[in-house]
Amino acid sequence: MGSYLVRRLLTMIPTLLVISFLIFLIIELPAGDYLSNQIDVLRKQGESASIAKLEFLRKEYALDRPFLERYLVWLGAWSGPHGFDGLLQGNWGWSFEFEKPVSEVVGPQIPLTIVLNLSTILFVYMMAFPIGIYSAVRQYSWGDYTATTVGYLGLATPDFLLGLILLYLSNRWFGLSIGGLMDKEYIDQPMSVAKLQSILAHLVVPTIVIGTAGTAGMIRRLRANLLDELNKQYVTTARAKGLGETRLIAKYPLRMALNPFIADIGNLIPSLVSGSVIVSVVLNLPTVGPTLLQALRSQDQFLAGFVLLFVAVLTLIGMLISDLALAVLDPRIRLGAGTSK
Amino acid sequence: MSDTVTPDTPEKKPSGEGGKTGHYVNPAPFNPFSVDELTPEQERYYQASQWKIMWWKFRRHRLAVWAGIILILMYLMVPFAEVIAPYTTEHRDDDHIYAPPQGIHLFHEGSFVGPFVYGYEYELDMERMVHVYKADTTKVQPIRFFCSGQKYKFWNLFEASFHLICPAEGGTLFLLGTDRLGHDMLSGVIYGARISLTVGLVGISIGLILGLLLGGIAGYFGGLADAVIQRMIEILRSLPELPLWMALSAALPVTWSPVWIFFGITIILGLIDWPGLARAVRSKLLSLREEEYARAAVYMGANPSRVIRKHLLPGFTSHIIASATLSIPGMILGETALSFLNLGLRRPAVSWGVLLSEAQNITAVTVYPWLMAPIIPVIIVVLAYNFLGDGLRDAADPYK
Amino acid sequence: MSNRLLATALAAGLAFAHPSAGQALELKETGTLSNTHDVGKLPPVAERVPSEPLIVDLAASGRTTGRHGGKIDTLIGRSKDRRLINVWGYARLVGYTEKLELKPDLLKAVGVEGDKVFTLHLRKGHKWSDGKPFTAEDFRYWWEDISTNDKLSPSGPPKFMIADGKPPKIEVLDATTVRYSWDAPNPLFLSQLAAARPPFIYRPAHYLKQFHIKYGDKEKIAEMAAAAKKRNWASLHNSMDEMYSAKNADIPSLQPWILSEKGNDRRYIMVRNPFYHRVDSTGQQLPYIDQVIMTVSGGGLIPAKAQAGEVDLQARNLAFSDITVLKRGEKNANYKTLLWPIAKGSEMAVFPNLTVKDPVWRKLMRDVRFRHALSLAIDRKGINKSLFYRLASEGNNTVLPKSPMFEKSYLTKWATFDLKKANALLDEIGLTKRREDGIRLLEDGRPLEIIVETAGESQEQLDILELISETWKKAGVKLFAKPSDRDVLRNRLLSGSTVMSVWGGYDNAIPTPAMSPAEYAPASVDTLWGVAWGDYNLSSGKSGEPIDYPPARQLFDLFRKWEASSTDAERAEIWKQMLEIHAEQTLSIGTVSGVRQPVVVSNRLKNVPKVAIYGWDPGAQFGLHRMDEFWMDK
Repeated sequence: MGSYLVRRLLTMIPTLLVISFLIFLIIELPAGDYLSNQIDVLRKQGESASIAKLEFLRKEYALDRPFLERYLVWLGAWSGPHGFDGLLQGNWGWSFEFEKPVSEVVGPQIPLTIVLNLSTILFVYMMAFPIGIYSAVRQYSWGDYTATTVGYLGLATPDFLLGLILLYLSNRWFGLSIGGLMDKEYIDQPMSVAKLQSILAHLVVPTIVIGTAGTAGMIRRLRANLLDELNKQYVTTARAKGLGETRLIAKYPLRMALNPFIADIGNLIPSLVSGSVIVSVVLNLPTVGPTLLQALRSQDQFLAGFVLLFVAVLTLIGMLISDLALAVLDPRIRLGAGTSK
Repeated sequence: MSDTVTPDTPEKKPSGEGGKTGHYVNPAPFNPFSVDELTPEQERYYQASQWKIMWWKFRRHRLAVWAGIILILMYLMVPFAEVIAPYTTEHRDDDHIYAPPQGIHLFHEGSFVGPFVYGYEYELDMERMVHVYKADTTKVQPIRFFCSGQKYKFWNLFEASFHLICPAEGGTLFLLGTDRLGHDMLSGVIYGARISLTVGLVGISIGLILGLLLGGIAGYFGGLADAVIQRMIEILRSLPELPLWMALSAALPVTWSPVWIFFGITIILGLIDWPGLARAVRSKLLSLREEEYARAAVYMGANPSRVIRKHLLPGFTSHIIASATLSIPGMILGETALSFLNLGLRRPAVSWGVLLSEAQNITAVTVYPWLMAPIIPVIIVVLAYNFLGDGLRDAADPYK
Repeated sequence: MSNRLLATALAAGLAFAHPSAGQALELKETGTLSNTHDVGKLPPVAERVPSEPLIVDLAASGRTTGRHGGKIDTLIGRSKDRRLINVWGYARLVGYTEKLELKPDLLKAVGVEGDKVFTLHLRKGHKWSDGKPFTAEDFRYWWEDISTNDKLSPSGPPKFMIADGKPPKIEVLDATTVRYSWDAPNPLFLSQLAAARPPFIYRPAHYLKQFHIKYGDKEKIAEMAAAAKKRNWASLHNSMDEMYSAKNADIPSLQPWILSEKGNDRRYIMVRNPFYHRVDSTGQQLPYIDQVIMTVSGGGLIPAKAQAGEVDLQARNLAFSDITVLKRGEKNANYKTLLWPIAKGSEMAVFPNLTVKDPVWRKLMRDVRFRHALSLAIDRKGINKSLFYRLASEGNNTVLPKSPMFEKSYLTKWATFDLKKANALLDEIGLTKRREDGIRLLEDGRPLEIIVETAGESQEQLDILELISETWKKAGVKLFAKPSDRDVLRNRLLSGSTVMSVWGGYDNAIPTPAMSPAEYAPASVDTLWGVAWGDYNLSSGKSGEPIDYPPARQLFDLFRKWEASSTDAERAEIWKQMLEIHAEQTLSIGTVSGVRQPVVVSNRLKNVPKVAIYGWDPGAQFGLHRMDEFWMDK
């Protein structure tokens, strides 16, 4: 078990490196950069002082160097204007738009992002579980069809429009303030019961919108696994021996089917995190999603790069956890059987 | 001698009668192979080809069958969008801005007139700054069928004006209302189907080609190729889609005609989708490779492509088709998301995504809700593909 | 003009110098000050207000006397927009009145001699927001230690301080008097001081000196620079010296509301300035409103939030197309939707880039017949009907009827809808070859497909472009709209890649002869029809291109003439000539003007004018209408 864990972690490192390189490449793809844009904008004001300031910044963040060097400086593997001062050293970079370190911009948003993603994962499981089981047990019945339609409906509806509709309705019917993750009075207040209540109330709409999109995949997986199990010999035997239907399903096939179901977090996380970006933009949530979009639009590259990396790392960790869970539960994977010739 | 006791001779008694023994004896001739013989149904089943069995299994999933029918109907509509839609997408009627949908009536003042719509009675409410439309029951506008209506260019090749359904002469036929510039929503939905439905198919073909190729190599050859491709899959799966879409879409030059931009977008969507298919192909190949018939073929000297083509492929084609079908709705939704971010198609190209992003504001949601009508075909198509895919996947392993 | 201003200034000065005015006014303490400040640390109101405050006569402008208290909730689309508080506050050395006259505001009076010598009189006892005195030293510091310091300002002082190539002579006559003297007339000076984004020719010297190498402690500066990740003292000073962007909560200010430490990246809280120089006629120190809270929200949600009643005052990010849903929410959410006429020359204008790098396009853009044809091929009536309920006026991008220089011909020349003439003109140029779909071909065989770039911020612009593309097609011109990003667009314009762009029309479309016609000449990079020429002017020849197109040359020379002019009559004449050139040359293609800006105002917020002009310069959006005089009723 330990060796498996070490092996997985070791393979994660080159993966991370390639991902970071690809991210940097993608960010640099559109022409121009934030500072050049700003310099040109300020020229019209004749704000010479500000221009001088920006020229300093260009040198400061090594923006006048070739691509590969910039990438390595960002990583912290090459000496920049401040020596080795990149991601590896814990410097997340500087945001030009907000004029403060990326850590200060994104830091407060990370807990809320994680909370949002966790709540959607919970929602997905809660929805997918009953529907998946029912659909497998009563295959081809009208109940099956109805339940799966409900489950898939969330996937079928475009998130952004659904979000806007739900926002409006929750405002009309429940008086919930539109968008955001809490009422505006609490935005700068420390945590309190009232603030918590406000957050929970505002979490409902985004969780539903993002979560319903992920439910379909989960339902399908649970259904497929359970169907596989239900067709096996031991189920027929147990039935013949007179075991009651519910007990029959709960005691053996369900447990077997649950293993991959739980371990499939690895598949769920990328789509949830990605889906939450768009929905966060529409619903104006203080998570990393809108920040990323704005940063990509204005070419605030270190901010965009960091958020992308954060999202990718979140995904990789999720996949690692799911692989570990699978390894714990299923010795075949751990021992690598079936993959060698 | 009447006192003589004679044992009964085993007579041939007709079946069904108890006779002296009380057993039932079947009078039919004895067939020693009766146990092994098949009934006609069983004979059909065991002699049926793999595809036939899959079809029977697929048919059991009734929702999937209906979904398939609906999809086929929709795709049939695609080449004839110009004929089916009452207007073209460029057509604007600035006398009818934000007009609500016109209902179809059959009876006017008690008498049967045939399908018609009432004309509009229009007023611009300057107090509340809103267009107010009411049905004017004096203006009866019968709907014409198989008529000559607005001119269009069929597939951009030749001009024609034959429509399935047209408004009355000098009248309007806005069954789903109009938008803020006076475009007919129904026509937009019909033309939009053309792009939104084909995006999925084209994108999935690209994903399929890449997925089959790379997944096949990984699964069949194993070893280093497998490890490299697996890493690639993992990397691509953990890169979030949104910024990939943004960066890649921003690279598409805007001078490209809408057709080329459309293809560019499908390529982008397909490129991001192949990992899922590759994984499925790979895992299937890994298990099938070890099957006896495959190993036999290898020992007999078949080269890898023959082995894959003739022996392994039939085994997992159905799975791949099922996986591919399930990826299509993702592409359709992806196109709508790109349009929402202003990265996808734009007018004059009309897709469901373009229509929905134009409805993405509070005015559309609260004041003119018919602008959100394209959401319905999107839901139907996505649901249909999902059910179809489920049915295919259930049917995919007929020998289970 | 100079004499008139001098008279006004002196009159104003006299009014305030009158002893009874200042002393007869009994100042009332601001009761709600404790909401935002620690009252114990602040002196009483008599010491916070200058001994010669600006007394506002509310009744004269039809307003009511208000009460202290309340907060204004408003929404901004991105966090950068928090700097608008310094625009809306509109505390300027001299500012525009509702009648668009320049009056001293922060200054007590201004003495003007022949547009060459300006004597600024400060108010006695005027203090910065941290209580330290606002004196002439603050002006001197800016001129000598910042704008002429080659480390802090490597490109030298701003352009408007240079008249005929020479900087001014600055004299500090006493603690409250500064004098700027130029050899040549500098008529731009005062109007620059009244701009929406002012140049701030004064700085809080007492605060900034600690960052300046000449005055500060070298070691401390090095420490602070390292902590803020700045390379050297100049970079540190520059980052601390932010008068406009509302980034630095520590820097003292003279505006009515200043950024407070409370709040965060998404919710900026601007609190009252306890040392503000204006009082009302009953002795209450302005502003009435305690706090202005600016919450960052995605632009798309702002109309939704406004109609739900989540704002008290909102104009930005609300478009005319939102008017229906805004009117709907009025009753439930207790607000009114006002419609303020927009002061722009055109709601949206199309700007051919005459300095585009591609030689074929360049030649075509510079052909006046081409521009005429494009303008004649626009159905402005259709645009007005489809998008603006026929409320707007159709015509060129030019001054509005409210301006004294307006002539009907400026509005209508070459702005009718005449496809026949448009086609004839294009044929005349020689673009007679066409594709099968009717689109003409350029001389090198490329189709006449114009990519019109927008800043991507407005659906309305895309709608107008769609309507334009329909009629241009009938003239054989294909239009591709490309929404982009504001900064990216500017970049592309500067590099000469953009063939055509769209933007709002002239910002100042209600000019008086005394206002600068800079917008109408290729003098800055804002001149989207000749960006490279404007760049050349701003950079003093270091980048861009020299003007080589006669009408542009004429406009620029007229602009220079205006800068050197001395009478109003002369200036009006120059204006008229410039406007005539624009009307004849169609350097920018206007569509409709006079569109309304929806303004959501809570029913509890008083003193907001029902109908008022909404513009940037002049206007400062809410600034001109004196936001410090708004008050909240329970």
